Order: sequence, then structure tokens, then C-alpha cells
Amino acid sequence: MEDELIWNDDSRALQDSEWSKLSSDFTNAGYREGITAGKESALQEGFDDGFATVGAPLGRELGLLRGMASALLSFLSRPANSEKQIALEEARDIVAQLGDVRFSDIVPPDLEAERHAREHLEAEREADDDADLEMNEELKEKRAVETLEDMMKRMGAGSISSVETQTTRPTIDDVRRLKERLVSLSEGIGIPLQWS
Amino acid sequence: MDFDLEDLVHVEQTFYEHGYADGHAHGRVHGLIEGRALGREKGFEMWEELGFYEGFASMWQAIHSSQSGPDDRTTHHTKQLLELIAQFPRINPSATDASDLDIPKLFRQIRSRYKALCATLGVRPTLRSGVSSSPTRQTDDPAEAPEGTRPDASRKVWPVQAAENQRPREDLNF
Repeated sequence: MEDELIWNDDSRALQDSEWSKLSSDFTNAGYREGITAGKESALQEGFDDGFATVGAPLGRELGLLRGMASALLSFLSRPANSEKQIALEEARDIVAQLGDVRFSDIVPPDLEAERHAREHLEAEREADDDADLEMNEELKEKRAVETLEDMMKRMGAGSISSVETQTTRPTIDDVRRLKERLVSLSEGIGIPLQWS
Repeated sequence: MDFDLEDLVHVEQTFYEHGYADGHAHGRVHGLIEGRALGREKGFEMWEELGFYEGFASMWQAIHSSQSGPDDRTTHHTKQLLELIAQFPRINPSATDASDLDIPKLFRQIRSRYKALCATLGVRPTLRSGVSSSPTRQTDDPAEAPEGTRPDASRKVWPVQAAENQRPREDLNF
């Protein structure tokens, strides 16, 4: 009698655990294949979006400035313009500074990517919390915050540093200033510019 | 026991499909993010180069119209170059398939027109077409690097472009 009860309990427990194993095995297998398929289905769409909305216009903007500055520098380097030393130096400096700008310096942050990264971070934290509930809550909190801070720092690296000198990376504001310098240099030597 | 194998198979399928749907949604987010990062980079690389030629040509145009009287050959080259660049798509052509453009050919024409313009002006074709040793330039000339030799970071662009290449005339892979 007692034996039977125990057997029943065990059997029930066994059934439950078999059941949840079955459930999680198949769910996980589906998830794994789903994530791959989902990713592949969206890559091209993301690519086209990034190309058209950010990459091409941003690249063109910088390229235009570089091309114009380069042409102006060649023009001012001609012997006929040998009296325009100051303008020549200015052109040279603009060219050099524009040449230093990288894609990573001026690309705007991908907000959706950042939000998703934060979601992952939170999910990770929850998983950690579940795993060892009573373990050093404070430390984990701190670590997560630090990771976030690092991320924010990397994202915002540009905007704070523009006043500091050569050692920091140029920013989109620097590019804007270089554009103004280019325009006034060009107008200063009698070449009005029109922007397409 | 009212055990039916059909039911069990069905249940497995249901679990799988549930997982698949969740995974697919999550994967889409990652695909969009990753694709966007690659597209931003690629679009930037291409249009930075094209923009350079465009800026170069329009500055010389401005110089010639405001300074010395325009010289015929220069005018011709700048005009041609700007016309070619104006044909170049600013969105990934795979998104619009309507175009009959041969992109690699157009890119070649633009580059050689730029070089011709430089020759006419007596200017060395700086920065782009030569082998530039300037360290800040290394990553800016993707077009000069043969396919597949680019650094790891951008490796993953090829799956996207491989997909494009399967359709006619849509590759951005120069």
C-alpha cells in the first residue's frame, strides 16, 4: 500500500520531469532554428536601411568636403597662387583634419541596437539572479551598471570630447566646423560655393 | 492508457513551433541590427569615395567659373564626372530592382573620369586611386582592396552581398 503510493508519487514526478524536458527540448530546438532563420530573413532589409538612411548620406557628406578641400588645396598650391600662403596653410590643415575623420567617429548610434543590448543585459541579470538568489546582489547590480556605463561611454565618446585636443577623436561637430572653415576659405579667395 | 502517438508528435510539433516563432522574432531583431551596421558601413565607404569625386569636380567647376576662364577640357571632364555620379544610386539597388544600371561599370567609369580630370588639371590623383600610405586612409579605400581581403570586422558583409549577387546586377561588391 505504502509502496504503491510512493511509486505513484515518483511516477508522477517522473512524468512531470519528462514532460518539461520534452517541452524545453523541442522549444529550444525550435528557438535555435527560428533565431537563425529570423536573422537571415532580416539581414538584407537591415542592410538596405542602413545603407540608404545613414551610410550613403553620411559618407557623401564627408566625401564632398574632402573632395572640395582637396581641389582647393591643389588650386592654391599652383605657382600662380604663391602669394596666398595663409589660405594654402588653411587648406592644408582642413584637408589633414578631414582626413583624420573615421566612419566610427561620426556614425550616429543605432538606438535600436542599444536598446536590444540593454534588454540582453537585463535578461542576463535576471538569469543570474535566479541562479543564485541570495548571492551578492549588490555586486551584480554594480557590475551591470558598470557594463551599461561602459556602453554609454563608448556611444557618447564623441560629444564630450570636442574641446580636448588632438588625442581625442574628431566628432560630427568638428566636421561641421571644418565645413564652415572650408566655405569661408573658399569665399575668402573669391570662389562662391553652392551646395548640392 | 489513452496514449496516442499522434498526439505526442503533435505536441512536439507545437513546442517546436512555439520556440521557432519566439526565436524567429528575436533573430529578426538581430538580423536588422547586424544588417544595418553592415549597410551603414558599406554605404559610407562607397559614397565617401563618390562624394570625394563629386566635391572635387564641383570645386574645380566653381574655381574655373569664378577665376580663369573655363578651359574646355576641364569643363568637359567635370561635367561628365558629375553626370556619372548623379546616376549612382544612393540606396542599395537591390531594394529597387527597376534600374538597368551596371554598377561596377559605372564605378569604373567614374574612377577613370576622375583620373582623366586630374591629368587635365595637372594634379596628382591623391588619396583615392593611388596606393595611399597615409595611415588614416587605410580603411577608406575598400574599393581598391580585392574582395575577401578586408579585415575580419567586415567579413560578415559578404553573406548579404552574396544574396544580392544571386539576383542580376545588384551587387555592390566591387
